[in-house]
Amino acid sequence: MRDNAKGGALTEVTFFILLSLYTPKHGYAVMQFIEDSTKGRLTLGAGTLYGALNSLQEKGWIAPFGDSAGRKKEYLITTQGKEIAEKELIRLNELVGVANGIIGGAV
Amino acid sequence: MSKKYYRFFGGLLTAQEHWLNKMSEKGYRLIRAEKMLYEFEECKPDQVKYCVEFIGQKSKVDASDYHEFLEGMGYKVFYKNINLNYSVGKVRLRPWAERGGRIATNATTFNRELLIVEKDNDGKPFELHTSYEDKENYYRNLRNPWLLILLMFAIFAVAKRSVVFGVLALVSLIPVLVYQTKVMQNKREGKTKEW
Repeated sequence: MRDNAKGGALTEVTFFILLSLYTPKHGYAVMQFIEDSTKGRLTLGAGTLYGALNSLQEKGWIAPFGDSAGRKKEYLITTQGKEIAEKELIRLNELVGVANGIIGGAV
Repeated sequence: MSKKYYRFFGGLLTAQEHWLNKMSEKGYRLIRAEKMLYEFEECKPDQVKYCVEFIGQKSKVDASDYHEFLEGMGYKVFYKNINLNYSVGKVRLRPWAERGGRIATNATTFNRELLIVEKDNDGKPFELHTSYEDKENYYRNLRNPWLLILLMFAIFAVAKRSVVFGVLALVSLIPVLVYQTKVMQNKREGKTKEW
């Protein structure tokens, strides 16, 4: 599964990483954030997280934060990354609205 | 009291991982890994878990960046060689590697093709690659060196009409097929599932 940046629709991993980086975090904290917010439903392997962080950095959605010399590297979401995340939230809200209208109180 | 073992696993990464985890179950954790030597110290049974990962395709910068990242995650990381090669000053061409890793020397990832990653056991399974897309890429990286070996043997076999090279080509076809199957499995799963 890949991110569909044009129509919104991010993968869960991407969206969670973007959300976690509204405040600066290093890799371990990102992993913890995702585990905690999904109550362990989604756990990321370190290799997968590393790949995801690198590809988001290439896209310009996140960037290294501060001076990482001698410390664990921290990341922070960029303006572009925030735009993407906010667009995704709007899309999801719209989807939830439609779904509630149809499925409604069934769940 | 430390314990020393001499083992060689070559390209059998899962076998190496399995053996290290068995050692941990018996109460030994790795403190040193060299060409064939593994040195252990005593620990509580099952205190740690191991993953063995192939990084031979990485450039020197990427390999050490990844190493640093994993240590930052709280893991203990050892470099390990995949082949036995005692000479110094070797230069190897790796057409299958990423940019910056295609010429491997003793100063880069030559003889550091593997990472042994140790994590304190928290009862959860220890996997480095969890999403299907990522696993697909990982197995592709494992397949490509074998694919090159297969191609070379096949070309020699045909060009020299040699049975020996033909047999070698067939043997190297096995890992290619094993990893190719995994690539395709993960690709198929990845169409409908993210992780």
